[in-house]
Amino acid sequence: MNHDEIKSVVQEKFLSSERVTAFLCDAKVLHPDWVKKDRLLAIVEFGDEKAVFCLFTSCYPPKSFTDLSIEIVLPIDKSFKCEIDNKPSDPEAILYLNLQSRNNKYKFEIQMTPRVDNFVDDLFRGIEAVNNVPTQPEFVWLKKYHGRNDNDILTHTMVLPGGVPHTQSSAPVAIRESLIKHKMSDKEYEYTFTKRFTIFCGTWNVNDKSPVIPLKGWLSIDKEPPDIYAVGFQELDLSKETFLFDQTMREDEWYNAVINYVDKRAKYVKVEKVRLVGMMLIILIKEKHFSHVRNVVCDTVGTGIMGKMGNKGGVSIRFDLHSTSLCFVNSHLAAHVEEYERRNQDFRDICNRTRFIQPNQLPKGIKDHDHIYWLGDLNYRITELDPTTVKKLVNNNDFGPVLEWDQLKQQHKCNNVFAGYIEGDIMFKPTYKYDPGTDNWDSSEKNRAPAWCDRIFWKGDKIVQLAYRSHPSLNISDHKPVSAIFNSAIKIIDEEKYRKVYEEVIKQLDKMENELIPQVKVDRTEIDFGTVQYLELQVRTITITNIGKLPVEFEFIKKLDEASFCKEWLIVEPYKKCICAEETCEIQLKVLINKTSACKMNAGTDKLYDILVLHLYGGKDIFITINGTYQRSSFGCSIEVLVNLNMPIKEVPVGKLIELENKRDQCVSNQSTYSIPKEIWFLVDHIYLHGLKEPNLFEQPGFHSEILQIRDWLDNGSVDPIPGSIHSVAEALLLLLESTADPIIPYNLQSVCLRASANYLQCKQIVMELPEFRKNVFLYLCEFLQEALQHSAENGLDSKTLSTLFGAIFLRDNPNQIQEPQSRINKQVIDKKKAQFVYHFLVNDHSDLIFSR
Amino acid sequence: MGVGKSCLLHQFTDKKFMADCPHTIGVEFGTRIIEVAGQKIKLQIWDTAGQERFRAVTRSYYRGAAGALMVYDITRRSTYNHLSSWLTDTRNLTNPSTVIFLIGNKSDLDAQRDVTYEEAKQFADENGLMFVEASAKTGQNVEEAFLETAKKIYQSIQDGRLDLNAAESGVQHKPASPGRPLAAPPAARDNCAC
Ligand SMILES: Nc1nc2c(ncn2[C@@H]2O[C@H](COP(=O)(O)OP(=O)(O)O)[C@@H](O)[C@H]2O)c(=O)[nH]1
Ligand SMILES: [Mg+2]
Repeated sequence: MNHDEIKSVVQEKFLSSERVTAFLCDAKVLHPDWVKKDRLLAIVEFGDEKAVFCLFTSCYPPKSFTDLSIEIVLPIDKSFKCEIDNKPSDPEAILYLNLQSRNNKYKFEIQMTPRVDNFVDDLFRGIEAVNNVPTQPEFVWLKKYHGRNDNDILTHTMVLPGGVPHTQSSAPVAIRESLIKHKMSDKEYEYTFTKRFTIFCGTWNVNDKSPVIPLKGWLSIDKEPPDIYAVGFQELDLSKETFLFDQTMREDEWYNAVINYVDKRAKYVKVEKVRLVGMMLIILIKEKHFSHVRNVVCDTVGTGIMGKMGNKGGVSIRFDLHSTSLCFVNSHLAAHVEEYERRNQDFRDICNRTRFIQPNQLPKGIKDHDHIYWLGDLNYRITELDPTTVKKLVNNNDFGPVLEWDQLKQQHKCNNVFAGYIEGDIMFKPTYKYDPGTDNWDSSEKNRAPAWCDRIFWKGDKIVQLAYRSHPSLNISDHKPVSAIFNSAIKIIDEEKYRKVYEEVIKQLDKMENELIPQVKVDRTEIDFGTVQYLELQVRTITITNIGKLPVEFEFIKKLDEASFCKEWLIVEPYKKCICAEETCEIQLKVLINKTSACKMNAGTDKLYDILVLHLYGGKDIFITINGTYQRSSFGCSIEVLVNLNMPIKEVPVGKLIELENKRDQCVSNQSTYSIPKEIWFLVDHIYLHGLKEPNLFEQPGFHSEILQIRDWLDNGSVDPIPGSIHSVAEALLLLLESTADPIIPYNLQSVCLRASANYLQCKQIVMELPEFRKNVFLYLCEFLQEALQHSAENGLDSKTLSTLFGAIFLRDNPNQIQEPQSRINKQVIDKKKAQFVYHFLVNDHSDLIFSR
Repeated sequence: MGVGKSCLLHQFTDKKFMADCPHTIGVEFGTRIIEVAGQKIKLQIWDTAGQERFRAVTRSYYRGAAGALMVYDITRRSTYNHLSSWLTDTRNLTNPSTVIFLIGNKSDLDAQRDVTYEEAKQFADENGLMFVEASAKTGQNVEEAFLETAKKIYQSIQDGRLDLNAAESGVQHKPASPGRPLAAPPAARDNCAC
């Protein structure tokens, strides 16, 4: 497939309005995974906007657009950056392309080819264009390529059963962390037990008074000292200074008063204290629990004038006690009798605006806690009953009918405020409004109905309210203090059990991760080709089955310091592919020993043995061992060796053959058996006797099977006549001559020959100086060819055709020499010269050379 | 019979003894995330085929290992005798800072012991290797061997002996997501003597 054909396949992956302007086939993604993955890069244009696409291709070259899947999309916008480096060790050949778009960084390794220039030019044109327009392009057309969950994205972002993205090679430690957290909270009941704590919540609007009376009657009247105190005050200080500058002496006065009057039977320490203008919240805890208190954070929200000032609002403290998160809120909501809507709004504002900020964590709101206790002067009133009736009823402790008209009860019931919270039954007199210093209802002109302004709500599992009451004896304010006692279940982690469950979870995750490593089954890892003969293709198949849960991409990869992933005599098809889960792929392994590999086998520099590395991307490597015995043949032997073999090659011990091959340079005539290889003589003689008049001699091909029979006849030795047709014998002769370890005219003389080709005398001179046995073969063959030309009337040969044919055989190109890319014209000139060289010897009498021996 | 490399890896990653572990023909790997000095580290452990005939191929896998675990079988002296040649390979093909740990496996088969602890310990000391006897079967010392290796790698990173930026350090730094601690997952390789 050529470049344009591939391009049209890539183009099909996109809409026709999205034009592929440049692409590169052999890019390797390095960063972010540092696994070299082969990918195709394409620049795609839509209107004025361009983007770089990185595509995975399941086979190479891609045959249809279904072989391609889009992995990465990088819009070329103003944030797009491209930097190019060369590979320091190989600056000519390898280039690194660093692309950055919207904080995603990728690094690609690219082979230098002329195509790269086009690609990079196009890329920079795109960058230039986008930076020349004032507005940021929108890339609406890219939306469809982002965040796809179908197979396209699978190879890139694998999906864990829990729906968590997972890339094999990049350690998703952070994702894993949250997965662990999630799993651990699922199993919480396995490693936690609960312990009950008593919690005292108190609230008092002190109406700008100092603590001139003891607080014992409020804070310390229960049978047992509570584990926690949460005490809230409102209207600590109504002075302008406090309101404007948020400074007051009262803070310490009231704090010290609380410290002084908490239950003396236990020792308490402060968890936290927070104040905003007149609102203060104090949390104390029994000293013995203090070490289990963590992450104490507080926040304040003003909802007063302009929705900001702190004369109204809420102050909150949160902390973790063992494994339960607790939140306490003390609020003073909007005043004014009718304005319950305003109070509802204050509640919502406090909920929405309270933010507990902790380092390295998402901010928490009030609702993000296991237990919430909300106390304060909530300021809801009784408006629908006349004050005299209210007073009469409450004086008789007949609260029911009055509470029915309590704004808060009504709003709570409609879920307009404190939705999800609970309030205990109210069995105490309204706490507002009294004449300070007395238990008498407010005697001022306003004549309002008494109300339960001061309240306590809670939310959370396993919380029981033990008491809810007011404390009328504390009468310095126009409000009475209120308190509630809760018995709350606090979760405690059993460290021992926690560790066990944690380890279990970790183990599960490790197992899951290890299971996601691509898994395949290969039906065999040792392939024995048995006996392999020259030019006889042998095929074996291995089957790879993907037994994992995800698609697997495999590739045979190179071993250390090797140029190719397998030996030259082996063909592996396909050598890379993607196999879907539970599917199989058959891989054909083909061995063919041809002229190049045969001489190495004969000389013992190579053998039929190889280990292939089958690599699974993101997974293991499997070694496939290839084994076989090469049946040595006269094809692929050097002329110097053949002239020394006085028996069929099959009878020559392997070691002996290797030895001869390695000493072939020292071969001299007087010790050698033949002057030319007997195999050549057999074939030539056969044609000489039976085929000189054969039409189309040397032009019509023989049959492969007959050639193999002739090979065996030569290699095994036989008294039978040579099998096969004259054409097969003629082709076998050509193959034999072509496969000799060294060409008949040594490689180093080739250029001399080409230069001399126009001059018969010089050519003769060169032939005179050839190594002895090569010269023999050369002259012998030329003699034979002259003979054949005598019968051109019958066999149709002409000296031009023959000299071209044999020119290429006598003057073989050196396969090991890295060839300058030859132009077609250049090659024609060389071929002509080769023919010309041989031509002299087909038309001139050179018996003088033969006799000079 | 193998010295138990694959079993050690399974014991470490799955906490199980795979008595009938198939022969390793190639290079497999397992991963586990561990904690060293409060840091989460992802270990990627390569388990190579130990057979002599694969030795030339498995050499390609040493490159870039941050650590190597060499294993012999305490019940077969021949596996112990091979150690020096494996060690030579390991030293030649890895960084000087690569941590090498020697494990004498199958310590549960004390009755059939063929190599004493003292002898191997001396070999380890002479060659600057860390050493324990372990059993993939009972799990004894398996965790320790891998964790010690990881710890040592971590220390090398801390005191700068192992250059994280070198492409072949075998250690990758992952950028921390906001508010998360760093994670540096090193790769350890499991070599063999059998
Ligand atoms: N008794 C005992 N046997 C073990 C232990 N470790 C491995 N084996 C056995 O040794 C054999 C080879 O183990 P394997 O892990 O495949 O060796 P490898 O070739 O080095 O990977 C298996 O039959 C295991 O059951 C061990 O600690 N104790
Ligand atoms: Mg193994």
